[in-house]
Amino acid sequence: MRKILLLLLLFLCSCIPHQFSNQNLTRQEMKIYNEWIYSIRIKNFSQLGEVISRPPGVFQFLFSLTIPIEGGLHYKTHCIYYQVPYKKIIGILKIDELKSAMECPVNSDSDSWLEVQNIKDLRISLESFKLHLIFKNNTHQVDWSFLLPNISMGEFHEKNLYPGMSLLRTTEESFKNINNKYLGRISDRNSTNSAIVCMKVDKGCHVVGEDRCDDCRYGWYQVVDFQCPKGGSHFCGQNHCGEKLEPACPRGAKIITDESLGICQNDLTPVWNAAHILICQ
Amino acid sequence: MKEFKSSIASKVILFICAVFMVGGFFFYKFDYQTLQKTDQFIQDKEALLRLLQNSSEIHRMWNEGEESREWELEKVECLKHFAIKSPFDETLLRCNPMVLTCHELLNKKINYRFVKYSTNNNYAAFRYLTKSNTALVGLKGTGFLFTLEDLKSQKKLDVFLEDQCHEVFLQKRIYAYGEELPGKDSEDYRFDNFSQNIYLDTHLVTNDEINNWIDFGDRDFTKGLTKKSGNELFLPATDLMLWQMESYCSFKGKQLMLAHIFDAASFFPMDLNDITPAKNNRFPYYWTKKKSEFKADCNLIYAKECLGQKEYSLNTSAPSWAGLKDSMGGVLEAFRNPIDPESNLKASSFYFSFNSPWHKLGFRAGWDGTGFELRHFDFKGINPDLGIDRFKVGFRCMKEAK
Repeated sequence: MRKILLLLLLFLCSCIPHQFSNQNLTRQEMKIYNEWIYSIRIKNFSQLGEVISRPPGVFQFLFSLTIPIEGGLHYKTHCIYYQVPYKKIIGILKIDELKSAMECPVNSDSDSWLEVQNIKDLRISLESFKLHLIFKNNTHQVDWSFLLPNISMGEFHEKNLYPGMSLLRTTEESFKNINNKYLGRISDRNSTNSAIVCMKVDKGCHVVGEDRCDDCRYGWYQVVDFQCPKGGSHFCGQNHCGEKLEPACPRGAKIITDESLGICQNDLTPVWNAAHILICQ
Repeated sequence: MKEFKSSIASKVILFICAVFMVGGFFFYKFDYQTLQKTDQFIQDKEALLRLLQNSSEIHRMWNEGEESREWELEKVECLKHFAIKSPFDETLLRCNPMVLTCHELLNKKINYRFVKYSTNNNYAAFRYLTKSNTALVGLKGTGFLFTLEDLKSQKKLDVFLEDQCHEVFLQKRIYAYGEELPGKDSEDYRFDNFSQNIYLDTHLVTNDEINNWIDFGDRDFTKGLTKKSGNELFLPATDLMLWQMESYCSFKGKQLMLAHIFDAASFFPMDLNDITPAKNNRFPYYWTKKKSEFKADCNLIYAKECLGQKEYSLNTSAPSWAGLKDSMGGVLEAFRNPIDPESNLKASSFYFSFNSPWHKLGFRAGWDGTGFELRHFDFKGINPDLGIDRFKVGFRCMKEAK
């Protein structure tokens, strides 16, 4: 009788951590999935689906994900680290959250956003826009699979899973004009010096500074400056090329040279301004 | 002594049993809650997977449009719902929310619904997003935001669908502007686009598209415009002033079609394989390389005579070599002409008979852009019949891309 009772006691005790563990793992899986589903970029991913077995006992950086914050007003970064178990050191999958889109430190140096403990034999792979994390938790085999429909893949032509479709993270904040950081106003003009240069090329045809044309609120247009094969500098806003004191429209460089490179209204003449942009006057 | 030992053992066993009973009760309660929580996470995961599956189907319908099996099944009821009785070019349903909204409305088996958004005027099953009306970082192009709500769990997922099904890339090559002038010494106005990636709208902007601008655009620019419905939805928008046309294209991150780019996309190239021809021969009709091969065919030019033969609809004529529809005939079309700003109107339209000299590519009239009565137009002496109160002027947009 005593033996039976003791066995029963042992059985019940063994159930408690299992239930804890299962519940915790499902909770963690969903916590991750509800964030990673919106990832737009995966970086430093180089695993080929083999078990990660070294270096033992220390954290190593696996990969990072760029994710829009709730409301989509800017990006944050998830840095994923793994500690391979060694003797009494347990295996840990650790996710740190950085508040902006930035490079992850090689070593995890902040409080974790999430930790999965007691894992071993971790394998990670990325196939057909699905990120797999396969590991053993205590004695259970766990296979987490996260669909990343927003990330772009492909060696030559980057494509996402559903071309022309993406998942967004919106809140009421996403639609408030005050939060809109896109560049330029519809009334901006070159002739009034109000147009914003979003991409500048120099005479060596190198891009100077950052290309911000994707951030133009009302599109962008090209001007004629240094006859570069890939075209001239770009300005944000409504295009009024060819009009008085506005840039000349590109005419191409295959047929024409010099000032005639630009298109101006019949009664105007293209001339180079101080910034070496062809202007109609 | 033995009895004493046995009685202690019995008491210990009884104590353990009592602990078990109490512990068992709490364990059951705890375990039940744990199971409930686990169940909740499992349900959350299932809901997310259902939403993802539905997104995939929505993406398919979005691109297939009129070719989707859903449209085939729901077309009659859908058109009734939108009060559309006249035939129209159903390819316009690609990248258009009509197929999706009808599917949600008419199919009782689906397990999601679209969350309604308030607009400038009412409520809609979607929100039209551009970089001018949203703060979302990294927005790709323009398009429609649908918020799917899983009916079983009420979990939501925001799906953004780009509306780029009706754009064509303009081949990089040498082109020429305007009509080909007679005489050996006449100089062609030539240009090339080797340093530009230009995308053109294949069709004129529709009333349906302007409705989205009225609903989700800046009200300062849409003043005076009214939303259209029924048969008018898929007809070209013809009541915008020139500045509003430019503003609409800007709203979409584009620009009003430039006259010389329209010429590039409509004049049939002499040799499609020769992208750097020594001379740009230009032919007056977009379907042929022979100047003499004019055809009084309503499928090529929707001219005045066609009004009595078949109802006018958008995309009524065949596409040009580059994919532009209605490059001749139909309604008038406004451009921005950076070379000759006074020649900013495609006059080839249903206001002129087949034998009118206006039915030639590159030959343009003028419009001051501020009204639609005859006094606002310069038809260079080749005027249409009197008695037209208000001319219909359409437009389309184009954009440069990286």
